[in-house]
Amino acid sequence: MMTDILKRLPAGTSLAMPLGLVALLLLLSAVFSPQLFTIDGIAGAILVSAPLIVAAMAITPIAMAGRGGVDLSIGPLIGFINVTIVAWLQPHGFGTPVMVFAYAMLAACAWYALLATVITIVRVSPIIVMLAGYMVLAGLDLVILPRPSGSAPEWLGDWGFGTEIFSPVLAILLISGFAWGLLRSTALFDNIELLGADERTAYTAGLATDRVRLAAYVVGGLLAAMAAICQTAVIGSGDPTQGNRITLQAITALVLGGTALSGGRGSATGSALGAIAMFLISNLLSSFNFGAMSGFITQAVYGLVLVLTLLATLIRFRSKPVKGASDGRS
Amino acid sequence: MTGILVQGVSKSFGETRALTDASLAADMGEVHAIVGENGSGKSTLAKIISGVLAPDGGTVDVLGETPGNPCHARRLGVAPIFQEMMLAEQLSIAENVFAGSDGLLCRTLSAKARNAEAKALLERLSGQAVDPTARVSDLPLHLKQWVVLARAICIQPRVLILDESSAALDLAGTERLHAEIRRLRDGGACILIVTHRIAELVRIADKATVLRDGRTVGTLSKFEITEQNLLKLMSAEKPPAKVQLDPSKTARSSSALVLRCEALQLARETTPFGFELREGEIVGVAGLDGAGHAEFIRTVAGIDLPSSGSVTIFGSHGQSIEIRSIEEAGAAGLSYVSGDRKKEGIFPALSTFENFAMAPYGCHRDRTGLIDAGSLRGSFAREVARLGIKVGPPNDRITSLSGGNQQKVLIARAFAAQPKVIVLNDPARGVDIGTKQELYRQLVAFSQTGGAVIYLSSEIEEFFDFADRVDVFVQTTLHRSLPSRDLSEEALLYAMFGRLADAVSPITVEEMA
Repeated sequence: MMTDILKRLPAGTSLAMPLGLVALLLLLSAVFSPQLFTIDGIAGAILVSAPLIVAAMAITPIAMAGRGGVDLSIGPLIGFINVTIVAWLQPHGFGTPVMVFAYAMLAACAWYALLATVITIVRVSPIIVMLAGYMVLAGLDLVILPRPSGSAPEWLGDWGFGTEIFSPVLAILLISGFAWGLLRSTALFDNIELLGADERTAYTAGLATDRVRLAAYVVGGLLAAMAAICQTAVIGSGDPTQGNRITLQAITALVLGGTALSGGRGSATGSALGAIAMFLISNLLSSFNFGAMSGFITQAVYGLVLVLTLLATLIRFRSKPVKGASDGRS
Repeated sequence: MTGILVQGVSKSFGETRALTDASLAADMGEVHAIVGENGSGKSTLAKIISGVLAPDGGTVDVLGETPGNPCHARRLGVAPIFQEMMLAEQLSIAENVFAGSDGLLCRTLSAKARNAEAKALLERLSGQAVDPTARVSDLPLHLKQWVVLARAICIQPRVLILDESSAALDLAGTERLHAEIRRLRDGGACILIVTHRIAELVRIADKATVLRDGRTVGTLSKFEITEQNLLKLMSAEKPPAKVQLDPSKTARSSSALVLRCEALQLARETTPFGFELREGEIVGVAGLDGAGHAEFIRTVAGIDLPSSGSVTIFGSHGQSIEIRSIEEAGAAGLSYVSGDRKKEGIFPALSTFENFAMAPYGCHRDRTGLIDAGSLRGSFAREVARLGIKVGPPNDRITSLSGGNQQKVLIARAFAAQPKVIVLNDPARGVDIGTKQELYRQLVAFSQTGGAVIYLSSEIEEFFDFADRVDVFVQTTLHRSLPSRDLSEEALLYAMFGRLADAVSPITVEEMA
């Protein structure tokens, strides 16, 4: 029965693994950490996990666009938008919602357009461009705001109380999900898949590969802006280093969600599920009494779960017999 | 009306000149064939016409414009199919068929309509039931070929370029492809075919342009397209090479067997064949791209494993050693020289001496088991002198040498292992004529001391002067063995092109003579 449902999922983008993982973790949470399932618990969970969920979604189209486009710069970029909102926009009276959203989206899109252009024109491997981007932004964040300080615009800070389930942060999550759904219904999604799956085929088939790559990165930028706003809401101030940690977590969530780092198939839903799984893991572990070790143990478990998930995926796909289209299943 | 007009086009890749002076004129409503040997520049020309490559010189005019990239070519109505199957393997059939058919944002067809259309088109083309949502990586080769063809046909092309597109199709499939080609031609499209299958293009082509060494050497109209005419143009107007019968090379069958292949299958579902190599024998290996000769060479050298069958080397005391890896082959006295210098020949970051010494290190040890540098250097000096290699200081990087001398260092490396069998995979590629002559002289000298040589070459005229026989591969199996007395360029070409699975009439060497 369960396998029947799994079979119906779109071929290739196997959500079975992240779904199963999240289901398992929810089950464990119900036993060991029931306080998660109260209104306060859920509201807090949404708030705390939102930046990572949206960040993981943001790097999905970039990874899908191929050439091993693992976006390392997402964390420092979120940090950059966070510190600039606090250090530049807020003191000069530009802290209105419209200004903040417009600025965040513009900054993130400009950043990714820059990355895509460098990758396209200079023809360097994306990972190198992104590593450079990580270092540039991480440094810049500290130049702009040497230590955690300042405060987010009041309206944004209010989002961060996390006392209601139906909060603006949930709205951002839903809007991001909706935006992804919208992208899936356009040809751009197919084009990104094709570009990532085989760039030579895409090029010779007459695809405008440069423009598709640029578009994929800009879509990532729009989502990254949302992640940065969520992050600012959560911490309520400017923090130049807090964002950096998101990079590795978002990549972990991406892989847990089943997006291929080699490009092609990918799913932001999967990435979001991966991020949720990671939140549940850390939440679950915090219910045990590890004391000061808690953070380190969480790290180790992330790694372990990642390897186990990849192994499980491998076994699942290995056991499947190779099927030809000629076996008359029409 | 002129569809494609190419004039004086040249194109080089680094030092290799793929095209020097290629011209072609094809009208709409015409099936135009591009014919030539391996490496004559056919595929490069097809890529230039479809905008994938930009020419270095000359003019290209397709439907009144010069396609600058595949995207532009597609807008003009040019649908190219290349020799390498351009497929996104992890995507579905329908996604592959409609690759590139959408705008950046807007879909031209819904996913459902796509699946239906891809299914209908592919079932019409392939003649079998097809699931359009199946992953391309799971498909058999001929269906993959149909997917690529469907992508081109579904855009209703005005110019269709087919580069060896029937290679993976069987007889019935080729017929269906021809029907499709005729349908498009009758609809006024221009179809450009690049193929090795002469029998095929004799039937379908209205015109043929013949390329030799990157140069257009002739254009044949419909009634002039015959196998004789095509082969004559392809093989240059020079007189057939004289076969020098070396009296010492007769009666080889009496000398000892050094290598034997039994019931060798290079890939599944190919015809098994046997192969024997005797002391002092030089055997040439030839074939068209993808005919299996390259696989054969690699299998003999122990690099690739055969699908079934065995490769055995006989030691000097009659013991037999089965070869299952390149280490075993080396231990049994077989040396391999690759023609792909950059990929599997030189270590570009190491010196000339180190490149030479890489293989024979193990044979030059002193009593303590350490490397005997003196004897190694002596061996290097000997081989350098023997092969006449122009080396600078031995500790300079090998990349400071010319290509020909780099290749000589690699051959010296092979000789230094004191092998009984040398296997050379197109070693003379991109090497000047003097170096080639020198190499052949060395190989003959090697054979006179009892060594055996297997030599693959993509330049067939190289074989004539020194091979005892040439084994020609077709469809991944040994097709014909030509003894040296039967060697001529035309006979070789006939063996390579002549009898393919769907040839109308088999051609024998005797008919040619």
